[in-house]
Amino acid sequence: MTIPWIILPFPCGSDFADRRGLRKDLLIALRVSGSPVIVDFSSCGTLGHADIDLLLECVAQAAGRDTKVLFVAGSRVNRVLLEVTRISSLVPVFNSVREALAYPQIAAENDDEVLRTSQFQKPGSA
Amino acid sequence: MELGAVVVVPARENLMSIHEAQPLALAASENSRPFYFSRMPILGNDVLQSWMERIRKLGLRSLWLTSSSRAESVDGTLDSSALAECARQGVERLLVIQLKAYAEMDLADLLRFHCESRNLVTEAEDARGHLGVCLRDHLALRTAGERYAFASAPTESGQTPYQFRGYAKRILSATERQELVGDGLTGACAMRPLGAEIREQVWVGEGANLADSVRVIGPSYIGARTIVQAGATIGPFASVEHDCVIGCGTTVERSTVLPYSYLAHGLLIRHQLVDGGYLEDLSWGAVADLRPAGLGSRIQRHEARRQGLRDTDVPSRTSRAGSPEVALASAPARARSSTPSSTPSATPSSTPSSTPSSTGSQPWLRVQLR
Repeated sequence: MTIPWIILPFPCGSDFADRRGLRKDLLIALRVSGSPVIVDFSSCGTLGHADIDLLLECVAQAAGRDTKVLFVAGSRVNRVLLEVTRISSLVPVFNSVREALAYPQIAAENDDEVLRTSQFQKPGSA
Repeated sequence: MELGAVVVVPARENLMSIHEAQPLALAASENSRPFYFSRMPILGNDVLQSWMERIRKLGLRSLWLTSSSRAESVDGTLDSSALAECARQGVERLLVIQLKAYAEMDLADLLRFHCESRNLVTEAEDARGHLGVCLRDHLALRTAGERYAFASAPTESGQTPYQFRGYAKRILSATERQELVGDGLTGACAMRPLGAEIREQVWVGEGANLADSVRVIGPSYIGARTIVQAGATIGPFASVEHDCVIGCGTTVERSTVLPYSYLAHGLLIRHQLVDGGYLEDLSWGAVADLRPAGLGSRIQRHEARRQGLRDTDVPSRTSRAGSPEVALASAPARARSSTPSSTPSATPSSTPSSTPSSTGSQPWLRVQLR
């Protein structure tokens, strides 16, 4: 049986109401559905202060729950910002939604730790 | 044969256009051009100073300092008419150094090679290509002036290039710059960090302020007047240049933080180069703007900026051991007219004007080497 995914587009650069909306959706997804959640901010050019705050809140909400949260950075710039803020050490980060959706299949074949290290390897760091 | 020397510094305009005019474009770009410039210190050292010292050892008492004001000139060299002007002033052989590489080059050996090979133009190169150092003879200078175009590259025109086999790094490449930092810290090259070695392979510049709980892992360098706040970790292979502030709990590892940079609390800077509010990842080549997220910024200098000299900033009159003391001797009329109050230490030009008429945007400064 395939577990359904919930993909939440990140309200980058939007107003307070949108952010509150995402927060609410995320909380519902985490508490009620139990499905893995993908937060997709691939449409964001760059992340601002409020965006980082919201991402950290996402991480905090997911902590201690069984529900999996994944981030889709969408660009190298966003990925660098996630590294700098250490968020990528807390939550798996992918380049695209497609990559993120492939996560469970890979996980089924490999040990979870192996997956994590391979996903986060930078080019040329092997 | 009368020998002259010119050091060409990449123009600051390139930097300014990126930093101020198109910050958003930069934030969104990946693999963009370097956003720092060649005068940024490396372990507290100025690469220009190292070239000046080498020129002084060659027996020259002065050199010209100029800035390539046009983007295409950064990778080219000088305007052809500027070369013609040098020829008119009696310079029969000109050493042109573009400030894009640090190379531990014996210029006397280059000169010897140039004479023996009877080249009109000798360009120095290593296994990875040109190093931005070349010698041009009178005829090549005059030809360039007459044609208003450069003679073709030495290799194309049958000239034998000077193969440099010593230590060289291209400082406009963030990756090679970081390699140079690592080599300087471990003694793999002649460049030594500017500061006191407080313990093995850990150098700290004058007036640096490190909280008690700061962890410094050698080899590392912390520049003058830099503040490292509680719980931060610096190193290994980290260089934090002068006048920076590193926030509480931030880790700087295998990275360089350029002068006047502020980094917020709790960050992880690993294999990256930080310049003010910008960060370049050395593995991915992505350039991120840290400012919108409040993760970093440029610290404003309190001292008044010396306007006008801009990127052609002549090194201050500080005389470090082993480095040439330099003073601004004269500024050509064209340079002074474009920068009226900029060179307080400059005396009116007593030398013939060294600014070619067609290169008004490219000021030339004559620097005395002592």
